[in-house]
Parts: sequence; structure tokens; C-alpha cells
Amino acid sequence: MHHTSTAERILRGFLLTLVLLFFLFPIFWIFLMSFQTNEDILRIPPSLFFTPTLENYIALISGRLSTVAGDLDIAFMRNLWNSVLLSSLSVGVALILGVPAAYAFARFKFRLGENIAFTLLSFRFAPPLLVLLPLSLYFSELGLSDTYLGLVWVYQLIALPLILWIVRGYFEDISPDIENAYRIDGHSWATTFRKIAIPLARPGIAAASLLAFIFCWNNFVFALVLASADKQPVTVGALAFVTASGIQYGQVAAAIVLSVTPTLMLALYAQRYLVEGLSLGAVKG
Amino acid sequence: MTALELNGISKSFKNDEVLSGLSLSAEQGETVVIFGPSGTGKTVLLRLISGIYDPDDGDIRLSGSSVIGIAPERRGVGMAFQNFALYPHMEAAENIASPLQARGGTSAQIAEKVRDIASLLKIDHVLSHRPKELSNGQKQRTALARALVAGPKILLLDDPLRNVDAKLRFEMRLELPRLLREFQSTTLYVTQDYKEAMALGDRIAVLLDGGFAQVATPEDIYRDPVNLEVAKLFGDPTINLIPGRIVAANGGTHADLAGSTIDLGAGYAHAAGREIYAGIRPEAISISQTASEGALPVELIAVTPLNERVVMLLHLADGTEFFASAPEEGAAGSREHGPAFASIDPAALLIFARDSGQRIQPQTSNRQTV
Amino acid sequence: MFRRALPYMLSLPALVVCIGILIPFGTAVYYSTQRYNLSFPQARAFIGLENYTDFLSDSAFWNTIEVSLLYTFLTVTLELLLGLGIALLLRKPGRFNNMVSILLLLPLMTAPAIAALMWKLMTNPNFGVLSYLIGLIGFDDFRWASSPSSALFTVVLVDMWVYTPFIMILLLAGLRSLPRQPFEAAELDGVPRSFVFFRITLPMLMPYIITATLFRLLDSIQQFDIIYAMTQGGPGDKLMVFQVQSYLEFFQYTNVGRSAALLMVLWVITYVLSNLFVKHWLKLRERAHGHA
Repeated sequence: MHHTSTAERILRGFLLTLVLLFFLFPIFWIFLMSFQTNEDILRIPPSLFFTPTLENYIALISGRLSTVAGDLDIAFMRNLWNSVLLSSLSVGVALILGVPAAYAFARFKFRLGENIAFTLLSFRFAPPLLVLLPLSLYFSELGLSDTYLGLVWVYQLIALPLILWIVRGYFEDISPDIENAYRIDGHSWATTFRKIAIPLARPGIAAASLLAFIFCWNNFVFALVLASADKQPVTVGALAFVTASGIQYGQVAAAIVLSVTPTLMLALYAQRYLVEGLSLGAVKG
Repeated sequence: MTALELNGISKSFKNDEVLSGLSLSAEQGETVVIFGPSGTGKTVLLRLISGIYDPDDGDIRLSGSSVIGIAPERRGVGMAFQNFALYPHMEAAENIASPLQARGGTSAQIAEKVRDIASLLKIDHVLSHRPKELSNGQKQRTALARALVAGPKILLLDDPLRNVDAKLRFEMRLELPRLLREFQSTTLYVTQDYKEAMALGDRIAVLLDGGFAQVATPEDIYRDPVNLEVAKLFGDPTINLIPGRIVAANGGTHADLAGSTIDLGAGYAHAAGREIYAGIRPEAISISQTASEGALPVELIAVTPLNERVVMLLHLADGTEFFASAPEEGAAGSREHGPAFASIDPAALLIFARDSGQRIQPQTSNRQTV
Repeated sequence: MFRRALPYMLSLPALVVCIGILIPFGTAVYYSTQRYNLSFPQARAFIGLENYTDFLSDSAFWNTIEVSLLYTFLTVTLELLLGLGIALLLRKPGRFNNMVSILLLLPLMTAPAIAALMWKLMTNPNFGVLSYLIGLIGFDDFRWASSPSSALFTVVLVDMWVYTPFIMILLLAGLRSLPRQPFEAAELDGVPRSFVFFRITLPMLMPYIITATLFRLLDSIQQFDIIYAMTQGGPGDKLMVFQVQSYLEFFQYTNVGRSAALLMVLWVITYVLSNLFVKHWLKLRERAHGHA
């Protein structure tokens, strides 16, 4: 190792402090804001010292916003619920569709499989609006627009490639002989899949599911195009909320905190899988 | 009854034909060793029998009925893989119990059978360990226990001793025959170690170029190989092959080997004039300091010990190299470097045609008349 | 039979999803060859490549190209430099460094649209903490995203906040997986550090840098969430990137044909990039999984 001088260590510490400040300050500040009254927020200069209040959260959770002009209904909790529902359902469906396909792509080399895998991968990188805009016209014809079913279907565009490519890598790492041995022991293909392949790929399935959940949750454009107010997730809802709430900045901050908390918690919980998942396994190894 | 019958089995991968028209049959309780150098398709053959692969052509019959198109789980075979293929997420006991569970039975019965076979294989103390906590030897025994536990009609062992250390391999080589007898399974045992093949096989089937070059008992294969390639696969040091020619003279024949002559008697008269290799096993050559009848004058170049024997490097008059081996103690007096005499047991002499590599057999009827 | 059919049975649902994607894609291609405005359905007609040829003389189109490329260039370059710098700072594994790298994931896991909102709150001219802070160093009337002169800067900053951690974490994984011997040998030989960095570290890190860059190029040229949430493409047409432009073209001007044609242009760009990416990625996978 190179000898590190004191000056170098100080410089390193200084730079890291700057980095942490830039990346964490916004989260920290919004978190503080969510416990402030509007008066605290509007005070100049801004201060770190204030009496925290839960007013903003209470207003959001109760769904009633009292302003000078009168009471206002807010649907934010509904948005939050939509996010939970859409993300979990989408991941669930993607697992049911994706895990068997990932297995097929890993175990059997066949043309159709490669073609499907690459079509899904290349649409992971295509402009989402290219598919969404025509789809919005189709959806209104099919009666799918503004339904959970339609949204979950479109969310497969996010969740399915992730599941397919990450889980496929894990299946590829299982020696086929382990499955062959189990078959020879006398177990059917289906039992072997359930008792050998799935348990051995479980870390990959868990990682892919968590990431898919986070990406579905964070998605904005799909619901913006295809969902109206009562089906919208938090990402779209929060934006609408800014306009609706006028100058209730504390509540906007509280809404932001509520929107990002689930994904940030999941990310911290699953951080060791993130590198692999984020790069679709491209830097695995 | 014929427990296993292979008829004209062919299998190709892409355009590479690995097995072509291969046939074999094995009797109930017999151990047949499939022996051959790596890459000859031994493993492929086991996988065809177990149902992991389907043959392109030919028929596989287990206990008389064809299993073509029948899924692996319904063939009733047991198999131990070269890389063990243990289930990493299950304890050793669960690994061994797997074939029993597939066949049904109460968990008490299953547990008892698992315990029995585990104590037979001396792994009862590690039954609660996961594969990654097992030593290589324990893994190998677990894999073997799993293959044996349900008493399969056919037991397929794919080079099971390949990945264990020398000491374990030696122990298992002694232990396996007893174990296989106990279970009375018909066993196909794949190996590329000729000593293992000779120690374990009731018969050895030598797999070369997609087919069996020879199927015979270990003694027959060693003493009476059908061709040069089979002869070369058995023995350490390998058989000496000295190029020469068969010459007819004085009513008999002799081999003219690089300036030296070995008397062949009358049996090879039909091959007079042919270019040959004379194959001489190193242990069929005895070296002495004194000349005797028929002994070749040689020069002893070097002596090396090898497994309780000594191996001697010798030169014929024209410098052709060959090896002789002798028991360590009996070789006294023959160790001096320098001129010596080599006498060759004529009965152990194997003659191969130089062009085709096929064995040239002496014509016994001729010999009788002499 | 079962063995033959099995892979197809397993991948059937994925195939259905694929078709579900390809149909709207085909429709978009078809729309792009039409004069098709939802407000004037009776004027709908096939016009071949006219939507595309119209672009050539359309300053709005050229503005979109310019803004998109500039945005992509700025974000990817800055994020790459910053991400590499941070990865180098955190290179040595250790409790503190690992904790920092985990904390830096948080912006990446924040929904980009929500991140834009956060920055909007912080840059609010009335109470935003950043407006206040920048006032302290002499920029009294800095208008952030609402001023044409600083809008691009602001949005690029938000993009950097969200996506630099992505590059950082990929490069950090790369740095930590490099073999040690070349570095130890260079150390023993007393090779200068700048030489070690440019001649050993960078070349060995290149596969990771390429992976990260291609990922970011593909995302950045299609950026929608941050820009839409912050400025809706404004002020004026200052931030009118491809997807924002086509979104507005579709929903505001109901011009389906033109919107589809615009997206097709973007698609061609991303298609070329993603092909590069997939090729590079397959090479990496092959190396990681061996040839078996």
C-alpha cells in the first residue's frame, strides 16, 4: 500500500464530507421539513432548530387538509396504497411468468428463447413512451385504461426483464447434474423444479424481486400516461399534490418522505444484491 | 437374466458422433467397468442409460424391457456422479433419503434405511451436515449411499473415485467390491484408471472410437488384448512395442527386431514377411548378467523404483529403448548399469500388425503338429 | 415429446408479454407514417415519411436534438467523472467506506420524479434552502430551474444527484474485483501513482466503465421523469428533450403521427446504443460464466 500522508488523509476526509453532504443533505432536509409548520418553513434564514410537529403527517393520513380557505380532501393515502398494490402485484405476476421462462432460457438453448430474452432486453432500453402512447389508445378500446389489471400488465415491462435476466444467471450457475441426480432418484420434473431449482436460485429470485419492486414503485411515466387519479401511485400523485396543496409545503415534504421510505428501507436491506441487479448481472463475478 | 442390454446405441452432439452402434449386455449382479481414455463417451453412455440423454439410434433394455422414451425418474437406476452432484441445500441424510422419498414409505422406514446405509459407508456421524461441511471423501460416500440406498436394478457409477485423494481411492477400491456384492446391483462403473478397472470389474469393456474394442475379464484383457490400442491402455510402464518383421527360417519363424532376433516357434508361419510390432510387457522380461539361450544382449541404462518394483530402462543393440520391470527384491544383481542380457517369456509375446494395429494370433494347430 | 415441448411451455407467458410489447411498437411505427391528429380524426391519412421529412426543416425538432444530446453529454460525462472519483475515494474496503457507499445508494433508490420534487422544494425562491445558501455567496436572484439560463444546470444537477451513485457503485464493484498483483508489482517497482492510474487502473476498469456508460447513455437520452416533474420541458423549450416533447405532442397537441415519428427517431438512437451494449454485455457474461 502507498504510504498515506496526513495531508492526503485530510484531503480525502474533506472530499468525502462534500460527497456525503451533496447526496444526503436533500434527504435530510426534506425529512426535517416534513416535521415543520409552514411558518417554520418560510422563515428566513432557514434554521435547523424548530419544534417538530406531526401535523403534516396527520393531515396526510386522515386525508383532510385544513387551510384558511377551508377543508380539502387529499387522496395521498390512496396513492400510497396504489403504489403498494401495483408494485406487489406486478412483481408477483412477473415472478409467475418470469421464473419458469428464466429457467427455460438457462437450461435449454433454443432459438425462440434467445429471441424472447433479447426482445425483452432491448425493450428494457427502448423509450417507454413508444409503447405507452399507442397502448393508451388500445387500452381505451379494450376497457383496460385506468384499471389495475392494465397497469400491472404494462408494469411487466419493468419487472419481467429484471426477473428474467437476473434469475436466469442464477439458474445457469446451478450444475445441471444436481437436477439430473434428483430426477434419477425418482422425482418428476415438476418436483425437481420446485425442490431443487427454485431453492437454489432463491437468492437471485429475492434480489430480482426486491429490485423489481423498487423500480415499479419508482416508476412515473407508465402511470402518468395510463392511470387517472384514483389508480395513480405516489410518484404521479405527489406531483399532482404539489399543485393541489397550494403552499402547504410541509405536507408536500411529508408526502415525499412517505413515498420514498419503503424503497429506501428495501434498498438498505438488500444492498448487497443491488450491484448485480442494477447492471442486470453484467458485472457479476 | 440379462439385466442390461444395449443394442446399436448411437449418439451425436452437433456433428460429433460420440457413440456409434455400441452394444453390450450385463448379467444380474455383474460389475462391468467401462474403461477408456477421457473424451471417449463413457459418461455419455451412462447418461443414455439413466435417461438424461436420449440415444439417436439403438435400444436400451433394462431387465428385458426397453426404456427408450421413458423419463429418468421411471427407470429405477441409481447413479453416482463424478462431481458428486449432492443437493447443496439439504443435509447429507436428506440427500440419501431422496430416492426413498420418491418411492414412498413412512419417514421412520426411510430414516432407518438411511441410517443403515450410512453406517455401512461410515458416514453416520455426518448425516446432519450440509454438503459444503463434508470432506471430499464424505461427499463421495454420501453420493454413493444415495445411489445405492433404494437398491436400484442398475447402478451407474461415473468415475466416483476421480475427485478423491489417493489414500481414499485405495480404501474405496478395496471396499467397493464388497459393497456391490452386498447390494447385488448390476453395476456399470466408469473409470479411466486401468488399475481401478482391473480391481473392480467382473468384466472390462474398453471404449474406443465410439464402440467397445474389447469386452472381457481383466485377465483376458491384459493377457490377450485384441489390438495395439487396448494393449497400450493397461500396464505401467506401458507395454514395450518394438518394431520388426516376421521372418520364416528353418521351418519355424522368428521376429527380426532392430537387429536382435526372438524365436517365435512355428505358430506365426502364416504371417511370415509382415511388418509387426512385438509387444512385450515389462514384467515378462527378465534381466541377468549372464547370457542364456535366446537372451538378447542389451545395455542397462537406468533403474527407477516404482510401487515395490523396479523399472529398468534398456537399450537394444541398435539403441531402441524399452523397459523391463521386476520385483524389488528379486532384481538383485541385475542393477548394474552396462551390458546385460534380457530373456523374454515367449508365451507373453504379443504380435501386432504394424499397419492396422490388430493382433496377429499364432495358429495353434500348427504348433500342435510341431 | 414432453422434453421437446417443455422449454416452449415454460416461456409461453414471456412470449405473450413480448407480443404485447411488439404490437404497440408496430402500431407506433404505423402511426409515424400517418397524418393523425386526435382532434381532426377525419384528416387522418397515410403520408409515408412526411412526418420525418418535416422534421428536417423544423426548428423545434432540431432544438429537441440539440437539448437531448447536450443533456446526455453533460449528465453522462459529469456523472462518470464524479462517480469514478467517489469510487476511488471508497476503494479500500472497510467499515466506514462500505457504510458511505451504502448511504450513497439512497438517492439512486429515490424515484426520479420524487427527487425532482425534493429539489424543487429546496430551490423554491421563497423559502428554498438552496436559494438561501446561494444568496449568501452572492447570487441574489438565482432562479434555478425557472430561469432559462440556469434551468439546464439545475436539472443536470438533479440527474447527477440521482444517477451518480449508479456509476459509483458499478465502478466500485469493478475496482474491488481487480486482481492485486499488478498493483503490488507496480508498488515494488516504485512506479509513480499517476502512471499506475492511467496505465493499470483505468485500462483494467474499462469493461466496467463501458457498462456503466452505456447504461447511463441509454437512460439519459430518454430522460423524462426528472425534466417533466421539474419544468415540463420549459422554461420555453429550453429542456424539450425527446420524450417530453413527444409526450406533449401527443397529449397537448394530440398530434399522434408526429409524436410517434419523434419517438421512432429516439428509438433508432437507443437501438444502436443498446445493440452496442448487448454485444459488450454478452462478452462479459461469457467471461463470467465461462464457456461451459
